[in-house]
Amino acid sequence: MNQKRDKVSSYLEGERVPHFRSLSEIEYKEVYGPSDWRKELPEPGEYPFTRGIHKDMYRGRLWTRRQQSGFGTPEESNERFKYLLGVGQTGINMDTDIGTKLGLDPDYPLAKADVGLQGTSLCTYEDMKALYADIPLDQVSSTLIVQPPYSAVIMSQYLLMAKERGIEWEKLIGTIMNCALTQFVGPTYQAITTFFPIDLTVKVGLDLMEFIVPRMPRWNIVNINAYNIRETGVNAVQEAAFALSLAVDYIKALTQRGLDVDNFARRMAFFSAAHMDLFEEVAKLRAMRRIWARMLKEKFSAKNDKTLWFRTAIQTSALPLTAQQPLNNIVRATLQTLAAVLAGTQSIHTTGYDEAYSLPTEESHKLSIRTQQIIAYETKVINSVDPLGGSYLVESLTDQMEEKIWELMKVIEEKGGFIQCFKEGWVEEQINEARYKMAEAIENGEQPMVGVNLFREEDEEVKINLFRPESDMQRRRIEYIQDYRKNRDQEPVQRSLQQLNDLVRKKPEANLFEPIMQAVEARATLQEIIDAMREAVSFSIPR
Amino acid sequence: MSSKGKRIVVGKMGLDSHDNGIRIIAKWLMDTGYEVIYAGLYNTTERMVQMAIEEDADAIGVSFLGGEHLFYAGELVRLLRKQDMAHVRTLLGGVISPEDVESLRKVGVDAVFTPGTMRAEILERIDHLLMERPSGKRDK
Repeated sequence: MNQKRDKVSSYLEGERVPHFRSLSEIEYKEVYGPSDWRKELPEPGEYPFTRGIHKDMYRGRLWTRRQQSGFGTPEESNERFKYLLGVGQTGINMDTDIGTKLGLDPDYPLAKADVGLQGTSLCTYEDMKALYADIPLDQVSSTLIVQPPYSAVIMSQYLLMAKERGIEWEKLIGTIMNCALTQFVGPTYQAITTFFPIDLTVKVGLDLMEFIVPRMPRWNIVNINAYNIRETGVNAVQEAAFALSLAVDYIKALTQRGLDVDNFARRMAFFSAAHMDLFEEVAKLRAMRRIWARMLKEKFSAKNDKTLWFRTAIQTSALPLTAQQPLNNIVRATLQTLAAVLAGTQSIHTTGYDEAYSLPTEESHKLSIRTQQIIAYETKVINSVDPLGGSYLVESLTDQMEEKIWELMKVIEEKGGFIQCFKEGWVEEQINEARYKMAEAIENGEQPMVGVNLFREEDEEVKINLFRPESDMQRRRIEYIQDYRKNRDQEPVQRSLQQLNDLVRKKPEANLFEPIMQAVEARATLQEIIDAMREAVSFSIPR
Repeated sequence: MSSKGKRIVVGKMGLDSHDNGIRIIAKWLMDTGYEVIYAGLYNTTERMVQMAIEEDADAIGVSFLGGEHLFYAGELVRLLRKQDMAHVRTLLGGVISPEDVESLRKVGVDAVFTPGTMRAEILERIDHLLMERPSGKRDK
């Protein structure tokens, strides 16, 4: 019998899904009952925060609607920011282009074709001011998506801008992502290590955290990017265990610098994925809250309750989104957003349905915000805190996820921690294995994807409005940076770069954040500052 | 198997480092009998073509997820022609709009694969492309 006939008759006999395993390969039972879970639950807002970090959760305050945005020139991105705030976005999520994320100015040969495509190009202090024109820094929270060492430059631009506007740093609200190993496309080795040496990357990240902690009580010093880890194809257990293990490395490093865990850990936050397996994703986030609280209390002797709060932003996972029948992605993103809400997250980016084609159009961006608003205002799912709490299934799954995450964290700890595992290539192996497995599961139908390996429409003609960058944007940015370097007072630039270079060479232990900020203030460009450090350690990059 | 011994240089060009897809394709090609030379990330056009020359490749496979495809595909095809390497097939994959798939074909890219294309189709098309003509320089 041919496959098509076979499919037709199987529907007629009663449709069945191929198996009942979770995305992390936990076998769902036919039914859950008191034999699977019979315990007391803590109240919401009480240790270990299984039911959420706040007593009243979304009744007190809705999650922050924070759509990632950034493309082209800073001026163009500023327009999009204002548009998003105008339709009801409540926080800014600023994304930089890849050149910026690799410390390359737009006229660097290898960077030219990528300028402004996957984020906004941000190389000078004036760029930052253009990006945030008319936006009240002390009223809207901002997430700045960039990793070390480049994060030190971008943070400097932001702080200098606040200073110029007369806004005290302690009033700034937001996050610098600042995670050395996860920001780019997850912790893949070549992507993280090619443009800057890994040890110095980690160090500058810590320098920045150390600088912020005493000065900016409302600013998150790091956002551990579990999302990008997940998007490589690993499962929910790996996502959580990798991210939490990396957090352990950061906590240990900051403690070794003499910082008190109760001063900084409450300013560490996460950025996690919401994939399609709704109950497992809810269980994952509940388990992560519990692990964070227990770990900080028992392992790091934290005393302050706020230190024990696991806070995470969510982006709905783009991996399950399809180029086929793109409107289906609206449904997927809605369900993923619902999972994030049911799990009690702090902020959400709902991924655009056009993700498999381009950056989101204005229309698609708005739809993401409306999706969240409909869930918030119309469905009533926010009316009670932790609405899935006490469900035999969800509680049992939360226990299982917690156990599996702890187990994997132990393996990583025994190997010397996450950073060590990354450097030795173990993380890379895990990721590649997961990628091949994911591809295989889609090929053989184990992971059903509607429109791709199920209900596919051959010869489908996709009609979709797509975002296009302005055709002369890259040329304009290249000209801009070349003019910028010509038309400035050169002496302070050279002096500040020389100081930074000397410091890296002669005092490797010194905190580099303030010298970096001085170079930004002197009008050095992003790449000039990064090059000063590269040269100090004789690190060469591809051209 | 017809594809046995055919050589493909596979990699990413420019700064885009999204490499889930290209890694998976590289493995599928190897599993089916191709010799894959994996160039990794951050390659220039010159480097890709140089590798194709050095490795006596039958095809170059690259992927783009950030919108750089028109720029690099154009450069790649031009440089191959200039170097008298026009017999090297160009295979391209990634996040590419239907309109751009057409533009890429016009530029001279031999095959474009967009998200959701299944393994069987990808391998069949590559087999077919590389079978049409005997191997590159070897029989010149």
